[in-house]
Amino acid sequence: MSHSEKAKQFNGDFNHTTWHDESLWFVREKRDKAVYGVPEFQQLRTLASQIKDHTLSNLDNYLIEFEHNANGNGIQVHWAIDADEHNRIILDIIRLSNSKNIVKSKSMLTEECHLNPFLQKHGVEVVDTDLGERIIQFRDEPPSHIVLPAIHLKKEDVGETFHKHLGTPKGENDPQRLTEAARQHLRQKFVTADVAITGANFAIAETGSIVVCTNEGNADLGVNFAKVHIASMGIEKVIPKWYHLSIFTRLLARSATGQPITTYTSHFTKPRKGAAMHIVIVDNGRANQLGREDFRSSLKCIRCGACMNTCPVYRRSGGHTYNFTVPGPIGSILAPNIDLKKYSSLPFASTLCGSCSDVCPVKIDIHTQLYKWRQIMGKENALPPLKKISMVMTAKILASTKVYNRLGKLARFILRVSPHWLTHATFLNPWAKARELPVPPKESFKTWYEINRASK
Amino acid sequence: MKVGLFIPCYVDQFYPQVAIATLEVLEKFGAQVHFPASQTCCGQPMANSGCEHDSINVYKHFVQCFREFDYIVTPSGSCAHHIIKHYNIVEQTEVVKHIRANTFELVSFLRTILKVEKMDISFPHQVGLHLSCHGQRGLRSSNASEITPDRDGEMLRLLKTITDIRLTQLDRNDECCGFGGTFCVAEEAVSARMGIDRIRDHIKNGTEVLTGGDMSCLMQLDGIIKRQQLPIKVMHIAEILNGQKP
Amino acid sequence: MNSRARLLSQIEKNKPALVELPNVPSFQNNAATIEVFETALLKIGGNMIEMNDLTSLVTIIQNKFPGILKIASSLPIATINVNEWTNQQTLEAIELVILEARLGVAENGAVWLSDTDMLHRALPFITQHLVVVLNRKDIVATMHHAYEKIQLPDYGVFIAGPSKTADIEQSLVIGAHGARTMTVLLI
Repeated sequence: MSHSEKAKQFNGDFNHTTWHDESLWFVREKRDKAVYGVPEFQQLRTLASQIKDHTLSNLDNYLIEFEHNANGNGIQVHWAIDADEHNRIILDIIRLSNSKNIVKSKSMLTEECHLNPFLQKHGVEVVDTDLGERIIQFRDEPPSHIVLPAIHLKKEDVGETFHKHLGTPKGENDPQRLTEAARQHLRQKFVTADVAITGANFAIAETGSIVVCTNEGNADLGVNFAKVHIASMGIEKVIPKWYHLSIFTRLLARSATGQPITTYTSHFTKPRKGAAMHIVIVDNGRANQLGREDFRSSLKCIRCGACMNTCPVYRRSGGHTYNFTVPGPIGSILAPNIDLKKYSSLPFASTLCGSCSDVCPVKIDIHTQLYKWRQIMGKENALPPLKKISMVMTAKILASTKVYNRLGKLARFILRVSPHWLTHATFLNPWAKARELPVPPKESFKTWYEINRASK
Repeated sequence: MKVGLFIPCYVDQFYPQVAIATLEVLEKFGAQVHFPASQTCCGQPMANSGCEHDSINVYKHFVQCFREFDYIVTPSGSCAHHIIKHYNIVEQTEVVKHIRANTFELVSFLRTILKVEKMDISFPHQVGLHLSCHGQRGLRSSNASEITPDRDGEMLRLLKTITDIRLTQLDRNDECCGFGGTFCVAEEAVSARMGIDRIRDHIKNGTEVLTGGDMSCLMQLDGIIKRQQLPIKVMHIAEILNGQKP
Repeated sequence: MNSRARLLSQIEKNKPALVELPNVPSFQNNAATIEVFETALLKIGGNMIEMNDLTSLVTIIQNKFPGILKIASSLPIATINVNEWTNQQTLEAIELVILEARLGVAENGAVWLSDTDMLHRALPFITQHLVVVLNRKDIVATMHHAYEKIQLPDYGVFIAGPSKTADIEQSLVIGAHGARTMTVLLI
């Protein structure tokens, strides 16, 4: 189903759409407040963007440097070309360590690779420990947002889920008490975990360290009890220097939630005594995107989610309408790299308003790339055939003064003489479902000009 | 100074009064305006739908129509944006480069080239300004709330000099109206909802006259106002600047 | 060719021409005052107590955490000994942890703890309440100043207030998995 069809379903519930829009706008407003409070914020965006541009232009060497330093720190580094290889590496580590209890903090990469279902298929259960992720894991749903995975759910939905899975009283919908129930439930998982899987927000080439940012503390609780830590990271997560973290940690949480910094910003350089640490470096299409000149800057993304919160389309259609691990504007420029046809409707799920590019902490020109993906769709026959034909026809009309003048007159005439029920028939004209058409005037400006000006 | 007036296709066909107002305002401020009768469209509708390569002849036609002017002025930030930013796919001849560098949205032209600082007109109504995204963020003609809390911009500055005008303080100063070209039908549900939410903001904050620099956004918003029979009158900013009454 | 070699060669082939690395300025215009630090800390749900020296530590802790007995600390106030080999059951039962931080960051209210400061890596997270002792001289203005000062640790963490979540309908809940309260004792 295309984005527009799913979005139509979403908009079937007017009040729910209002609620979803306002929940995310609230986050956008918190972000604004935090950003306005840092006078050099725009300068930080520029620096972050330049550091990322630089890193991408030397990515192979930085990955080698990172691997070298991580190895020196006693970390085992693995390389995965695709999701399947990533999943197999992790399964092997789990099996070799003879582990039963696996906890995982939030990692969009493991979502992208569908790690949980893969491990489950091989008899390994993983417990997601981020509260939002745990909620949707109980419900067997994908996340609808990369920072707020359960933003599509109301507290009543969570109450019902926890009643079913955690035995909270029926009708208990208080976020404080529901969170407390999850706390008690997950603490048992943390202290008994054998393996902790995390993502990585940043990987530092200079030191071989990774940085993981959370608000709940679930990544640290998992890793610091488990005997094995596995961190999955995309190739684009590497940054050159330790000091560069100062730029990114100032940008990330402010852009994401309006906090000045995440509650926990954790730096893992060496495993603790008696424990092992693995890092899986994953490509899964990223190197290919690196080769697309117009789209490579999408790899600068630090996964803050600000473009989702600000996107007027995302807010009024929800993350699930995108049908891709990373929804919203950034997802819409990442997805076509993976599968052009399957995700062909995503670059069109935008008005190209440009708000995404203006909130992006690393200055990715998201809306420009949406426009460029559209052109590729147009060239590679990924548009709905009717749309393509009508566009080619329109272009023919508009390239000729005579045809344009004549057809313009004709169209206005038809609209003028046709009854309202016909011009506003919704099966012919989707515009008319919620909107009136303008009343066509008798004469165009051109005709007016000819009569009133040109001849004088 | 020879000014070529570019009237976007849908304005020509559906809103001739906006084109007339644009022409008259430019003349009032001393511009020598010509309207090349052979013009049609800038090509944006097709390009935004992924068919810019099918529109190259439209681009070429536009360039042919406007080759001889010092400036090209249009009552649309969106069309100006398209010409400036997206005419990069045709050969960059001197003429094309000149056109891309000298195309202006009306208010932008009044302020930057004609140096209009003040309007000697009265408009005793509460006006809600819709900031169209392509002019605002695309051409940076107004501040963006993503970057600064200061609500400032070329249109706002000019409107503020009008006697007795009251300006609406919106909850969301610069959210998109949801028009988006073919988006308005391809993503009908979201598009309509975006328009409805913009109008609610204006109603809540007391707008009597809704204005802006792009008739396409205003057509979207007016479509909702008319359907819901709401007490807001829509006027293009050229009509207000031309001293017209609601 | 193995995955590593394949991937690296594809990156080498696809990467753009080298773009220069920018110089990062030192951002000197930010204040490193106690007021800025405290304002930031309060906003993120933490709290701060100023004291002259550590002699009043016991009194302050008893007043602030009446009835709490299971205390782990690097200071001589601990009732439970913790080191890197302490078992899970012991750690899980700890109610209060008091540690000394190396620095605090005024712009965001965060304090820095490296593994050498925290007895066991899980300690600042598993405890119900966290107290961090910070010398007022060690407050720096921004993250830039912080990263300039930090010695690369085996493991280290910026902690900014108590553990929190807003995953249920954007309602802020303090005390997600980690510490329910976070107090900075400024000396």
